[in-house]
Amino acid sequence: MICLVQAAGAFDVVQDLGRPGYAHLGVSQGGAADPGALIQGNRLVGNSLPAAGLEVTLKGPVLAFPEGAIVALTGADMGAARDSGLAAPRYQTLWLHPGEVLRLGAARSGCRAYVAFAGGIATEPVLQSRATFVAGAFGGLGGRPLRAGDRLPLGPPSFPPPNARLPLPAPENVARVIPGPQGAAFDDAALLHFYGGEFRISPLSSRSGLRLDGPRLVAPGGGEGPSQALLPGAVQVPPDGRPIVLGWDGPVTGGYPVIAGVISADLPLLAQLAPGSRISFRAVTLEEARHAWRARLAQWEAQLEWL
Amino acid sequence: MAGAGGFLACHEGFHVKLSWISERGLVVPHDNPAGLARRVLQVGFPEVEDCAAAEGGVLVHLLPGHAPGAALLKLLQTAGPTVDTAPARLVEIPVRYGGSDGPDLAELAARAGMTEGAAVRLHSAAEYRVLFLGFQPGFAYLAGTPAVLAAPRLTTPRAQVPAGSLAIGGPYSGIYPGVSPGGWRIIGRTERVLFDAGREPAALLAPGDRVRFLPL
Repeated sequence: MICLVQAAGAFDVVQDLGRPGYAHLGVSQGGAADPGALIQGNRLVGNSLPAAGLEVTLKGPVLAFPEGAIVALTGADMGAARDSGLAAPRYQTLWLHPGEVLRLGAARSGCRAYVAFAGGIATEPVLQSRATFVAGAFGGLGGRPLRAGDRLPLGPPSFPPPNARLPLPAPENVARVIPGPQGAAFDDAALLHFYGGEFRISPLSSRSGLRLDGPRLVAPGGGEGPSQALLPGAVQVPPDGRPIVLGWDGPVTGGYPVIAGVISADLPLLAQLAPGSRISFRAVTLEEARHAWRARLAQWEAQLEWL
Repeated sequence: MAGAGGFLACHEGFHVKLSWISERGLVVPHDNPAGLARRVLQVGFPEVEDCAAAEGGVLVHLLPGHAPGAALLKLLQTAGPTVDTAPARLVEIPVRYGGSDGPDLAELAARAGMTEGAAVRLHSAAEYRVLFLGFQPGFAYLAGTPAVLAAPRLTTPRAQVPAGSLAIGGPYSGIYPGVSPGGWRIIGRTERVLFDAGREPAALLAPGDRVRFLPL
């Protein structure tokens, strides 16, 4: 089975759950920015969890299925339509007939949509993952975003395939954080602005980092420090005082002071914040963060409603 | 306002000051980061996903939802010289210094008050040590650059640095594994492949390795 890309969206990349365990070689974890959306899509098409799907940002592609396919759309609402005229609701198994075309448009809510395919995208894994890492030009389809004319190979679907739906997630714009290694070195004004203020996602954001417009934070030490190892979610404050949340494909080290780190449970919600969206930050304890992760997993593993 | 200090009490009896990057990144100051990171990976703790060396410490990547266990915390307190006693590997890297391969060599030599030839002899006579990998896959930060050759980064980074470029940034030497933007001063180039995702191990250099440059 294949999926033909008739027209590419703004930034369509093959993603799975990334390649954890290679940071010591300088390789970012990468993977779906909203893993919950990919996981839920995979469940709706009967895939096991590591299956690769398509992550599309802000504007989606036009995909054709000469042999048909079973797919699910999750994450951002891109007003998907089928040439057959049948409905294409999100968070629901879609059975596409041979020859059907699925059109995704501009994001109406959220930022990143996911297309999960029964059988998963069957490109060659690199470092144990099919995730596209554009800066390293590896993973996914040639390490690059999709182009018109690309053919995505799909794996064999599981049988019997499901026919089910899941509840639509509610948008969230408060990210819980753990104060960072340099958190205590920021002055009271910076901390007050960071924890009490509201920021907006800058249009200059990408999978490498989300730049935040809003109150400027004065960084300790002028914003320059020794290189430290980082993880996605680290909120760095460069000399210009505009925070950057390290993204999924961001470098594994950085030299800017880190005021805080977004907890694992809330990093996915950043994936759905389109440029201009509001975001604010709230400090929690390590125990609260671990509990929040378990709650997030439970949300992603919510019971399928069979149709 | 919540300060980082509030979270240290979770691990009473710990001798070093821990900090966190989210709840899954445990930052541990240490005087032998490469050795400690290697030991943590060798042991294979069930709650550990990865362990990356950095300047002056390591970052332990914990699996989400997991707290560091007692055995891991014990190892993280092991003193620098004793944590890893395996002999360091020596990696020799042939380099064409200067010319179009090293456009910044002349300026660096002039700053140091020496000829280009003398700067090449000085740089290639030194032995380097891989501190950690970062910036991009396979990019190794090398300690050991002769102080007189240390140089500040370019104010405006180059938009495109060729793969294999040997460069100096501050006190470090390093080699760009792939074509990328870069602000370090380029002094030469190697044909060796620093990173190949299809190779095992993918990165030519690992933290703790000794490195020598062989001028061609």
